Amino acid sequence: MILKRALQWALPIFVIGVLFYWPMARVLGQGLVGDWLATLTEPRVAGAIWFTIWQALVSTLLCLLIALPAAYVLYRKRTPGAHVFKALLTIPFALPTMVTAIGFTAYQNQGIWKSEFASQSWLNSPTSWIILAHIFVNFAVITRTVGSTWMSHSHDPEEAAALAGAGRLRIFWSISLPQLRPAIVSSVFTVFLYCSASYGLVLVLGGGQVNSIETEIAAAANQFLDLQEAGALAILQTILTIGAFAIGNSGSRSVIGFDVQDAGKAKQRLDRRDWPVAALTLISVILILVPLVLILQRAFVDSSGSPTLENFVALTTHGTRNLLDISIGQAALNSLRNVLVSTVIAGVVGTFAAYLLTRPTRGKLQRSVSRILDTVFMLPLGVSSIVLGFGYLLTFGDGWLPLRSSWVVVPLIQSLLAMPLVIRIVQPALHSIGAELGEQASTDGANALVTFFRIELPLAKQSVAAAFGYAAIISIGEFGAANLLSYGDQATLPTVLYQLISRPGGQNYGMAMAMAAIVIALTFAVVFVSSFPNLNRKPRRPRLSARR
Amino acid sequence: MHNTKPILRRMLAALGILAITASALTGCATATTKAVAVASHDSFIIPDKLINQFKTETGFYLEGGAKLGDAGTLTNKLVLTKKVPVADVVFGIDNTFAGVATANDIIDGELVPIDYADVCFNYDKQWFVTRGITPPSSWRQLTDPKYKGLTVLENPATSSTGLAFLFSTIAALGEDGWPGWWAKLKENGVKVAAGWEDAYYIDFSGSSGHGNYPIVLSYSSSPADEIDDDGLSRTVSINSECFRQVEYAGVLKNAKNPEGAKAFLKFMLTKDFQSALPEANYVYPIVKGIKLPDAWARFAKPADSFVDVSKLDFDANRKARQKKWADIMAG
Repeated sequence: MILKRALQWALPIFVIGVLFYWPMARVLGQGLVGDWLATLTEPRVAGAIWFTIWQALVSTLLCLLIALPAAYVLYRKRTPGAHVFKALLTIPFALPTMVTAIGFTAYQNQGIWKSEFASQSWLNSPTSWIILAHIFVNFAVITRTVGSTWMSHSHDPEEAAALAGAGRLRIFWSISLPQLRPAIVSSVFTVFLYCSASYGLVLVLGGGQVNSIETEIAAAANQFLDLQEAGALAILQTILTIGAFAIGNSGSRSVIGFDVQDAGKAKQRLDRRDWPVAALTLISVILILVPLVLILQRAFVDSSGSPTLENFVALTTHGTRNLLDISIGQAALNSLRNVLVSTVIAGVVGTFAAYLLTRPTRGKLQRSVSRILDTVFMLPLGVSSIVLGFGYLLTFGDGWLPLRSSWVVVPLIQSLLAMPLVIRIVQPALHSIGAELGEQASTDGANALVTFFRIELPLAKQSVAAAFGYAAIISIGEFGAANLLSYGDQATLPTVLYQLISRPGGQNYGMAMAMAAIVIALTFAVVFVSSFPNLNRKPRRPRLSARR
Repeated sequence: MHNTKPILRRMLAALGILAITASALTGCATATTKAVAVASHDSFIIPDKLINQFKTETGFYLEGGAKLGDAGTLTNKLVLTKKVPVADVVFGIDNTFAGVATANDIIDGELVPIDYADVCFNYDKQWFVTRGITPPSSWRQLTDPKYKGLTVLENPATSSTGLAFLFSTIAALGEDGWPGWWAKLKENGVKVAAGWEDAYYIDFSGSSGHGNYPIVLSYSSSPADEIDDDGLSRTVSINSECFRQVEYAGVLKNAKNPEGAKAFLKFMLTKDFQSALPEANYVYPIVKGIKLPDAWARFAKPADSFVDVSKLDFDANRKARQKKWADIMAG
């Protein structure tokens, strides 16, 4: 029995061992060779570290401040149009980071920011734009996690308190807030993790003037050829993100932002005393739409502002002065290929690992082994794609596995980033089916394989499908590793968009807007089709959130 | 135990597939190929006519090229990937980064000079005429309050043009003098753009972007591309104390197709390729006796004088200097 289990574990452990722990060990070794303390205390580096931490804190707190009212209005109360608003909120985190970045550059380039007064204002600094973009991306993570919990709470204690004369704020403070605490803590630390590991947004909106640990890792490697500094920074970044991940993870074992079905419990209608929070929510939703609308508008005008379709026509070219090595169409095909490969690897290996993790454990030893394995497979969630990409640069450049020179390298990293989430989604589903069913089938003569494919998998179908969808979203938007490791004709959609927006002369700016507009239109279509099950008569699937 | 076998068998099959994939990935470099991949900086252009000509003349053809950023990022990325290079031949490593390429042993044979360009400041003629302000005649005047908030230049960490100018100031003002001068420049409201394209096409008022800055760090040849309907250039290059940037090409070590790479290197020195360089890339051909376009004789003259960088070691304290610069400009 134990031997069988050990053999079954061999494949997933081999995959994660070679593709995750080995490169991470190389990063660790690279970072600790020199005087890492001196490296990390240099003014420039220390500045980037400090910036990473404080902007992540500010982004997270502001995010929480506007997400709590939204969770209340959209989940706790019966609000007209809540369904549409919830679907709208899904869009920012389903969008590739680079599209968000492009949306905010359009925001940044609005005429009003060029006036004498506004261009001096602190609001118009790269830092403010980065924080705004982080709120945009992560707003829904908190809203959904907290909202889903809030929705399920009983109204009785609050009603009793109201009868006793307590005001709304007091009820929130002394009754709702303590109940929501686990959900708030885990979503807040998850958002902190995303904000501190954010790369594409800082790179584009910071414009080289503002640097975070992530951008400094890439700069140390690509601009200064200083692998020791990159390694030291990568270790620090990993300590920071794994710390945030561990705290966020301790509160809730479910996937953050994973939307729970509406329980159908009678909710109270919005009343007059709710109007400030309702107004705040409406403003938040409108502000979220602004960068998206701006991209759509920019896509249809030329540099002088007159309407045109030439930006879309230009998508067949390689950009002004042949900037791109391949056309956008080829880049889209590369992205599609990466999505297929990474989704299959993450989905299959992740589902298999989830299957093994849900097998019944007997005795103390088996249980603790199972817990350790769970952690081993969750850890990639706390590592940024830049750090992992840097590890690949160090590890797979040559030797017996020279993956770096192959296109497979990017989808492999993407699959590792998605695998823990696949496990987190599939594991509870398999768990709820229960082992008894399998044991029952096996006494009837079915072997484990038949039981899994004939009974457990069909029952967990929805979760497995959601997990694959999750993995696909991560792969399509992933930018850091692709930017570090894909060269020339291996460019992906996000890296091509980055090239265009960082060389915005001539037609390139318009091309970036046109491509971003297409991605936004597709995302809208997907989100709305999957949010309104009655339209396509498919069972409603949980929608997804976590991304980097 | 009877039910372990199928799972075991499947797992062994999966491991086998993994092993085959891995060996397929490693063993694909042996086939003889006619394709040549060129790694270059982002601004390099080869006109289609020459791409076709290279194919008919040599039998090799260009494919799978990679633009890898500015000259510095290009060089560094080639160092990071030198065991299994991303291309066969590189173009665009300049004299400020040639030392890095040599020290890291990424070139098979020698780096061959292909072209040169003079890094000078340009200004928007009309802007100064309408305001009745005398334009600067040397970069040393850019700290003058008269020119406050008028200059945009490139970040030396992300642009070889910017790095060339940083080296100019180090050579001209000395290791002790340059930080103070840059601090004054920062106080005078200089704007730092990430790359030449942003600075020139977006921020500079004299080119297509109609930006807010009438002075830009660019090249002595740039005015030839800004000719108005009246046959005159909208911009002027300040041709004193410039920096001569030489661009090199070379065959990459461990290239898949070294023969094709050598053929392309040779092709870059032919009369046809050299003659096309000015119009396509705004640089001067390295081969003597190549005729320049007509507008170049009037509006793209090489610089009159240069900063003496002969005693400056580009590679010494490269990172320390750049970090110092970053600290000055951030503070």
